Amino acid sequence: MAGLKDGDDFKDGEAFKSPTLLKLLCAVVGFGGLLLFFILSFSLGEEKTGAMGYSWLFAVIFFLTLGVGGLFWTLLHHASNSGWGTVVRRLMENLGSMIPFMMVLALPLVFPQFGFRDALWEWFPLREAALESAGEKAEKEAAGYITEQEAKVKKAQKAVDTAKVELASLNSPSPGHTAYFERKIKGLEKEAAKLNEKDLSEGAVIAELTDKNFLKKEALLFVKRGYLNERFWYFRVTFYFVVLIGIALVIRRWSIIQDSDGDPKWFRWMRRGSCGFLPFFAVAWTFLVFDWLMALDYTWFSTMWGVYLFAGSALNSMGLLILMLTGLRKAGYLRNVVTLEHYHLMGKLMHAFVIFWAYIAFSQFFLIWYANITEETKFYLTRNSDFWNTYTICFLVIGHFFIPFGILLIRSVKKTPLVVSIVAVWNLLMHVFDIYYIIIPERGPSLTAGTGHIAMTIPGAWIFDVLAFVSVGGIFGFFLLKQLSSASLFPCRDPRLDESLNVVN
Amino acid sequence: MSDSTAKPTSLFAYVAEFDNAMDLYHAAEKVRDAGFRRWDVHTPYPIHGMDAAMGLGKSWLSAVVLVGGTTGFIFALFLQFFTQVSLYPTVVQSKPTNLFTVPAFFPVTFELTILFSGFSILFGLLIWIMLPRWNHPLFNSSLFPKSTDDGFLMVIESRDPKFKKEKTRDFLTEIGAGEIEEVSH
Repeated sequence: MAGLKDGDDFKDGEAFKSPTLLKLLCAVVGFGGLLLFFILSFSLGEEKTGAMGYSWLFAVIFFLTLGVGGLFWTLLHHASNSGWGTVVRRLMENLGSMIPFMMVLALPLVFPQFGFRDALWEWFPLREAALESAGEKAEKEAAGYITEQEAKVKKAQKAVDTAKVELASLNSPSPGHTAYFERKIKGLEKEAAKLNEKDLSEGAVIAELTDKNFLKKEALLFVKRGYLNERFWYFRVTFYFVVLIGIALVIRRWSIIQDSDGDPKWFRWMRRGSCGFLPFFAVAWTFLVFDWLMALDYTWFSTMWGVYLFAGSALNSMGLLILMLTGLRKAGYLRNVVTLEHYHLMGKLMHAFVIFWAYIAFSQFFLIWYANITEETKFYLTRNSDFWNTYTICFLVIGHFFIPFGILLIRSVKKTPLVVSIVAVWNLLMHVFDIYYIIIPERGPSLTAGTGHIAMTIPGAWIFDVLAFVSVGGIFGFFLLKQLSSASLFPCRDPRLDESLNVVN
Repeated sequence: MSDSTAKPTSLFAYVAEFDNAMDLYHAAEKVRDAGFRRWDVHTPYPIHGMDAAMGLGKSWLSAVVLVGGTTGFIFALFLQFFTQVSLYPTVVQSKPTNLFTVPAFFPVTFELTILFSGFSILFGLLIWIMLPRWNHPLFNSSLFPKSTDDGFLMVIESRDPKFKKEKTRDFLTEIGAGEIEEVSH
């Protein structure tokens, strides 16, 4: 049997040898699917490529949420100075280290050459088209505008002169009369100076007219131009890559170094680091989902969006951690390290986040539904049309909340690895439906906009969703197995290991 | 009432003091195995694992809370549907007055579920442990106040079916008790 046996020393850790067959299967399915997906996306024509962009986003975001959740639990564990979960912390770190791989898989979304970016985030092509036509129009109008402005300047100057002449021609005016004219002249002079000051060079005029035409054509994109512009978008995406990947790698690195040298300095570094990393992590993740998911419809906004996605990711990464734990124990690992108390604690956290997810998801719906403001209701209008309404009630209201909530209330469920694992599988399945519900309903209306007939769905596109999901899932599984076997399964020289081994709750 | 003071005082319990948490923990295991039912330990701080050492089962207070919470949930839904939908249909913000009004009722339902759960915890617990009461015989003990400071105490009550005056005292000494005090009613 693999793993630690009675009498083995904890400080040497526990090495995991990943099952070759499973790893191979993951690699074949993952990389084969990836290859097939991109061959299809390049050969099937623009329309299908657009539909496949949504599939890829769905798959990548689903697995990215799991990695992000793993990183969150690691950071939280350090920042709150917890002792209970030291034995499962390496699993969290490994899950968090999935972020770099998933972010690399997200690269096709970012580069326009793949044809995904403009199909997903319509504001890119809309903005480009609006700017172009506004610019062209401005160039045409510029000459006329300049003459018009120059005439205005002349006219203003003339008005000043007329008023001055009028004042001079007055015969012994009363002080009030003089003051009235002086005030008038001052006002006219100010106006003339303002007109005179205006830059009437061709470049400045074209810029001004472009803005004006842009506002007329796409008012929302114009007022949001400070945020929704290509340069800032790429800057932000770089920020997400650097922050999320950096934190995930650094926090795992420190933990693994401690395995070999046992220096408690690393423990302190991880703790301090986590407190510093958490705000960056929160900002990066919140804005990532703003930019990649909320901006699927650039007219819509919700301030709860970031925490909604975070709630789902924390819940389901805990579910996946429980599954990993059960799988490893089944294969003979971690048996002397992880007890039912850990299962109980993790089950409780999963239960708490089932409630938290429902609280956030419902609050977002509730506020928008009750306020009934046009610019906010669009999201739910789409998702209440067609079959999406039944979908929401079945999978999100009942499946994602009521069923796991009721089952996880029972203590013995949380203390029975098999049963709590089944609940975790259920939760992960519902999370698939949740992410699908966030991304896919935008596909039909977005891709058929401007064709005269808005379709809710693109027929046959679900095959791409399945293909993308399976291939990203395969790659995720492959790298997870690789990471699991690259270090001890628990931080074997952590100062809090003893506390965690004997935890009672 | 002079005759109440004249009544012969009867033994209520033995209060035994132990040196430290570990001794108390192991003593509790022995008392549990000896089959005592009416006994308890008192310590300045909670000791992890003492539940198992004392052989305490699962507390069924959670069942009371489940009933309380469910009552609150149903009561809140009934209250709102009855008054806002069937008795006097109230249209707010052009929302429907039928089954699909339910999102509007969730906040109140949520709050009442929690309120009723909280009440059932509090009152269920008070009834369960028979509080409030005027006094308790343990307050006659001179050792007992130490349990809030540095004393690790074990109390075996005389109404326990296994309680024998001499034997139990010897048993306590045997499992490592230091000072043993007889507490009267």
